[in-house]
Amino acid sequence: MFLSFSMKNLKRKPFRTAVLLLSIAFLVSLLIFSTSFTASVHSGIQKASDRLGADLIIVPVGARDYAEEFLLESKNRSFYMSKDIIERIKNIEGLEVIESMTYHTYLSTIAGVCCDIAQTQVVAFDQNTDFILRPWLQKAINRPLARGEAIAGYETGYNLGFDLLDIETTLFNNTFKIIGELDRTGTGLDNALFMTEDDLQHIIDSGNSPLKKGEISIIFTKLKRGVDPYYVGKIIEGNIVEVDVVERSDIGREILNTLKDINKIFLVTIVFTSLLTAFLVWAIFSAIANERSREIGIMRAIGAKKSHIVRLFMIEVFVLGLLGSLVGMAAGTYLSMYLVNSFELLNNVSATLTLIQHAEIAVAGLLAGTGICIAGALMPIGRIKNMEPLLAIKEG
Amino acid sequence: MSLTELIEVTKTFTVNGESITAVNNVSLVIEKGDFISIAGHSGSGKTTLVSIIGGILSPAFGKVLFNGTDICSLNDDKLSEYRNSKIGFIFQFASLLPNLTAKENVLLPCIFSREKKSDRDNLAKEYLEKVGIGNKINAYPSQLSGGEQRRVAIARAFINSPELILADEPTGDLDEATEHDIMEFLHRANNEKGTTFVIVTHSSDIAYGCRKMYRMSRGILTQETL
Repeated sequence: MFLSFSMKNLKRKPFRTAVLLLSIAFLVSLLIFSTSFTASVHSGIQKASDRLGADLIIVPVGARDYAEEFLLESKNRSFYMSKDIIERIKNIEGLEVIESMTYHTYLSTIAGVCCDIAQTQVVAFDQNTDFILRPWLQKAINRPLARGEAIAGYETGYNLGFDLLDIETTLFNNTFKIIGELDRTGTGLDNALFMTEDDLQHIIDSGNSPLKKGEISIIFTKLKRGVDPYYVGKIIEGNIVEVDVVERSDIGREILNTLKDINKIFLVTIVFTSLLTAFLVWAIFSAIANERSREIGIMRAIGAKKSHIVRLFMIEVFVLGLLGSLVGMAAGTYLSMYLVNSFELLNNVSATLTLIQHAEIAVAGLLAGTGICIAGALMPIGRIKNMEPLLAIKEG
Repeated sequence: MSLTELIEVTKTFTVNGESITAVNNVSLVIEKGDFISIAGHSGSGKTTLVSIIGGILSPAFGKVLFNGTDICSLNDDKLSEYRNSKIGFIFQFASLLPNLTAKENVLLPCIFSREKKSDRDNLAKEYLEKVGIGNKINAYPSQLSGGEQRRVAIARAFINSPELILADEPTGDLDEATEHDIMEFLHRANNEKGTTFVIVTHSSDIAYGCRKMYRMSRGILTQETL
């Protein structure tokens, strides 16, 4: 009967109930959307760095942002350093902790000048040492790339606007056959074309590339288990001034810094909205308490304990908070799932959340919305429960 | 045998900085099965006195014993249980909850009660029939006349079978016929079940129709001979 009584009370003033419900819904949807946004970017960067599988990334000094822009945001970037650096790293005393090293060289196609496809990042990789592409390559063709063969990233064909499979294309005035497409890596590599280091050397030797011989773009390093990558990174940077070293957990620092500012805006908005919602709940429940003081007095006179009054109001608040939060949960989840494509940052970092992550954020939003609603109503409920029955009746 | 005993009860209020003694050193013994009226002018302290007896207002001084227990010493939960199970209130004003039907209003004390009555729905119907509005059990207060609302409040006062019913102007704004019906119902309950009644009234007819009559004036209670 407590529930039905509370429900009847909520139906008494439908407009007021709707206003409260919508404000809670707005708060929860904002909360869910912003949390999903932030979590998506974090998760996208995390997945990308995990999938690359390198503990350290070594790039020419000053090119760190370029590397991240390509690896995380699929932007075409070219930057070079001497291949000798690989040997210099190997020769650093006390760095036996490096398990494996490989490198990529990045070039950009120029349509109509050297190539017959629109501007695309071309990645040359060393098949002998590679551990970055190997898992995807194995899955796609289950053999090494041969001379004159290239393979496309998961989204390269889509971006270029035509099917790349089994076509012949001209890259840097050399003919390549595109023999397959890699699975999604969730990194910038999804938008590239891949060829072997041997083919790149051939292109350089034949004078068809602006790239000088012995130049590479990036070195990926795997460390032995238990080794502190920061420590190794510092040693490398200390010994070789021409490079910047990025640790796995530091990948995406620039994006995360930008995200911090976005988060601050979200946080301020959420804090204000939460305070506003709690204030609205407080004001409305104070008004409700005043309106119903005679009823409360009568209920107390006929035997209602303070706990009964609290229970009655709490059910009302809880139902209101829950319904508002459910509406907000649906709206927030819809926004975070379907508006993702409208945000360049989310698209660039391949930011997606799993259903479980969406569910966790939704439940957290639900709890927060209901909690804020309850918190806002606590004071008026506390006041009304403590009124002497006769005084409450007279005040009504 | 005394059901309720008031020992030197005083209650003062401060209004606009001025102290007003609403109940002044009142002592009263209410026997089981009594049918008592308290008459007096407006502001004489009648409502304050029954509110103290009913445990909805605490006295400044004195004791209120119910079956030997001082209700002023009870904590809030125990006092609520006392009001719920031992006392039935009939207020002088419209005291129904507007968003509950007549039956739900009658059942209201039951939801605050520890005892779960399995057939409480039937009991509510039975009381509503007894007070003459058995055909309006699902009507909301706004759909009932003043007299009908008062009857619902009376049925509610009886639902938990209290030992003492405190009726503050139970027929205050009702027509003569309804007043007669209601008083007859209360007398019948007193005779058949032995329920004790304290009735606050302006009406001389009602006051003199009770077995004991008290008069309240400026907070002082005096018994009148019938």
